[in-house]
Formats: sequence, structure tokens, C-alpha cells
Amino acid sequence: MPQESDNALLTELGQRLVGGSLSDAAIQRATDAIPTHAILPWVNVVKIGGQSIMDRGRSAVGPVVSEIVANLKRHKMILGTGAGTRARHVYSLAIDLGLPVGVLTVLGTAVAWQNAQMLQYLLAEHGIAFLEPEGFASLPHYLMERGAVICQGMPPYKLWEQNPDVGRIPPQRTDTGCFLIAEVFGARRMIYVKDEDGLYTADPKKDRNATHIPRISVQELLARDLDDLVVERAVLELMLNARNIREIQFVNGLKPGQLTAALDGEPVGTVIYNDAAGGRA
Amino acid sequence: MNDGAQHVVSRLMRESLVDKKVIAGTESAVRAILPALNVVQIGGLSIMDRGHSAVLPLLDEIVANQGDHTQVVGVGPGVRARHILSVGLDLGLPTGALATLAAKSSAQNAYMVSCLLANHGFVYLEAPFIVQLLPAMLAAARGAVFNGIPPYDLWEHPPAIGKLPPHGSDAGSYLIGEVFGARSVILVKDVDGLYDADPKTNPGAKLIPEIDAAKLKRMALPTLPIEPVVLDLLTRARLAKSIRIVNGLKRGNLTRALAGEAIGTLIHG
Repeated sequence: MPQESDNALLTELGQRLVGGSLSDAAIQRATDAIPTHAILPWVNVVKIGGQSIMDRGRSAVGPVVSEIVANLKRHKMILGTGAGTRARHVYSLAIDLGLPVGVLTVLGTAVAWQNAQMLQYLLAEHGIAFLEPEGFASLPHYLMERGAVICQGMPPYKLWEQNPDVGRIPPQRTDTGCFLIAEVFGARRMIYVKDEDGLYTADPKKDRNATHIPRISVQELLARDLDDLVVERAVLELMLNARNIREIQFVNGLKPGQLTAALDGEPVGTVIYNDAAGGRA
Repeated sequence: MNDGAQHVVSRLMRESLVDKKVIAGTESAVRAILPALNVVQIGGLSIMDRGHSAVLPLLDEIVANQGDHTQVVGVGPGVRARHILSVGLDLGLPTGALATLAAKSSAQNAYMVSCLLANHGFVYLEAPFIVQLLPAMLAAARGAVFNGIPPYDLWEHPPAIGKLPPHGSDAGSYLIGEVFGARSVILVKDVDGLYDADPKTNPGAKLIPEIDAAKLKRMALPTLPIEPVVLDLLTRARLAKSIRIVNGLKRGNLTRALAGEAIGTLIHG
């Protein structure tokens, strides 16, 4: 084994990393010393909902596609897709068959992939490419040349997805996958396009007394411990540790202009923000 | 009710998958896909970086157990990952980029192990082939070697403190054990198990033969011989409800662990 003392090439932190335990909190804190380089600070990550947009077909997807095209020259976008009703079917079936969360994740990924392919057929004439996770090194090129790329929204965890606290549904799905893309690239905005005006006090599809929440901190939202949410709980938990993404926005894709407004930085829909100083809870 | 979407009829149709009642309603038994499988994770810094004197006797032991136990071997990254983390951090790269880089170091180690076991029918499987081919490879070949680091890549979680990727080869190997419902998950290191203090700096440290993951987390030891995130994963285990840490520098320990003997430390969920 190499001796850390002969390693003149390593930084002081490097020598501690080579010699020490990565679970040591003092070493972990030392890794914060250098500011994080934002890889694609001008990119916007836009997630197109599965059940909320894609499953509605032409009436919902058509206007969203038109709005994306209208913004191609103004905003650079990574477009991720959700899964939706076919994922619900395959999750139900796989749960009934006794299959584990990792297998459900493989199955759900295929549904998000189908939606991404369909979206790409509709945007192909504008030169928009679809990228698998393995092709993400080409993202900067496509974004510079054409203004947008499409990917499926699921994180590539597949069989390595973690169990939820309760139940059998994969806890980290397309909301989480898109959020982590925005976080790692240091994106300008993370926008979720769904079929509601954002977050409500209850599910507005089921409860007529539900009231709209235009802006709320992730800390307060977690403390409210709502039974239902507009976004996967994993996203809220990751927001507490995120270094780059300070807020995420939810807009109604059924109302033309909301996505454009969000891309322009306007406070439409609901914004969930991190209230902790320095970006960390 | 027509909400405008074209649905496929299922128990979860139109439901919010974030709704707590919907989630709780999915609670039910999970089937073990490969219940005879044993996951053996070879440490990077602790075993691989020591070279042939540590690696070859351990691989001999894996081969000697081939007839009695189905083994898939995960491999950790070691000092080259520490080096690229150091350079990457110095360049200001985010956690997801660091995870992608570090995973290549354990891929190298896994590939070397697969070459040394090739003669005995072990194959090297990249993550997509674990998903597609592991059962077939285990039936046709006589074991498999994989990259212990899970394929989280750019999608690795930012950790609570600092920027180091939290899911390393211990977590990845454990998750393979959990998803396939493996018989055992054995983490092969260079210490006899878990101690109540770091045995490398504290000669009075006592070995803990068996402990509950939640209790160990509450003890908040300053360092652990495994990735702390594995304790969280164990508390949510459905099938792989424990891991065993054994010292791979001592001949016979892996064999005893595979035989189900109480060697090293057992951490259960």
C-alpha cells in the first residue's frame, strides 16, 4: 500500500482521503472547502408529467410541445418524462406477483422511456435528440446546438433502487431523477409540468375545499406531513442536502403560458424553496 | 369520472403514488428471486490494494466454496477512488460527477478479480448485464463478479455533510443481496468485524459480534468499517435482513461465514 507521506502530488485533503475513513465527519466536512463548479448553469430541467400530461394524449401534449418549441431559442432545456398509468398497472401486477422494489424500478423505467420516445418523435423535426443516461456526456453539445434534449425521467438505479419505509412502490421515481439531473449540473431552474396549478392543502381532484399554496419552504412542507403531495417525498428530502438547487417550481401544463412564465422566472404555480442559509438544512 | 387521461385499469389507476394511504395499501410479501445466492463483497482499500498476498488466498477460498455455495462477488474501489475524489474535489466537481468517476476504479478492481476467477467459470457483469443476465449467467457459468458501486452515477444523492458520494460498494453489494433475496451478504474487510472504537488507533477496542442496525446508528461511532448508509438500508430490509463483516486476511473466515457460522460481526435490520 502506498504511504501517504510519499504522495507529494496529493493535496492536504487528498492525503486525508487516502489515509482516513470516508465515514469520518471531519473529513466529510473538509470536502466542502472548495466551491462546487456549476457544470451547466444556464440549463433548465423541465419534467413533463406522465399521468398528468402524457397520458392525456394530443389535447395536453400538443400545447406543451408548442410551448417548448416556442422557447427553444430563449431557454435551454433538459426535458425529462414521467411514467403514468402504465407504470401504475405494471407496479400493481408486479406487486401482486411478489416482485421486489428494484424490479419495479426496472419496469417503471421502461414506461418513462416510452413517454420520452413519444415526446421525441413530436420534437424530432426541431432537431431534438433523446439521450440515455450513458449518453449524458453529449448533453452540452446538443443543448448548444439545438436548445433542448429529451431523457426519460427515472434515475438509473434499476435493481439498485432502495426500499421505501412503507409499502412496495419505488420511492425515487421521475420527480427524483429530474431533480438530481438539475442538482448535479447546477441548473438554472427545476420546473415540473403537471395538471394542477401546483401544491394544494389536499388533492384538489378529490377535495373541493383544497386551497392553493403559491410558495412554501421545504422545511415547512415536511413539517406539515401532508398525506398527499404534488411531488415525490424523496425530492423534498434531497432538497435539504442539495448544494445547487434552492427551489423547484410546479406549473400547470394544461394552461398555456405557465411553462414559459416559469422559464422566464415568474412566480406561477407553486415554488418550494429551501429556507436554510447556505443552501443546506 | 373522465379526467381527460387515457388510463389502463389497475389497482393504482388515477391514484397519487405519493399518497400515504395508497402507499400503505401496497404493503405485501416479496418473493426472493435467487434465494440460494450469496453476495461476497471484497473491500478495495482493505483487500484489493494489498495485492496478491491478500487477494489470492481469498479468491482460493471463494473457489473452494464454489461447489457448495452460489456466489456473486462485488468489489470495492480502494485508493485510486480516494485519489480521483481528491482531484475531483479540488476541481470543484459535484457529488454526482465524483460518484461516476469513483465507480470506474471499482470496475477496474472487479475486472481484475474476474480475470483471476475466469478459469473457474466466473464472469464479469456490468450493471446492465446484472439486470438482464445474472440468473442465466449463474446457471451457465459458475459465479459472477460485479462492480460493487451501484450505478447511481450523476444521480448520486448529495450527502448531509460534504460532497463524498454516500453509496459506495458496501451499499451496492447490499442492494444486490436485497433485490435478489440473497441467502447472505458478506462484506470482506481487513478487520475482524465491528468494534466499539477504531481498533487501528485504540488497542482496547472490543469486537461486537452482533448488533441491530438502528442501535448501531444511535451509538454514532466516529468511524465505521462499512458505509453508514448501509445501516439505513438495513432498517428498511425486506429480504436481506443482515450483513456479516469478516476479516478476509484470515483464512477460513469466508468459509465459516458462508456456512452460517457466527464469525466477525452480524448487523441486522
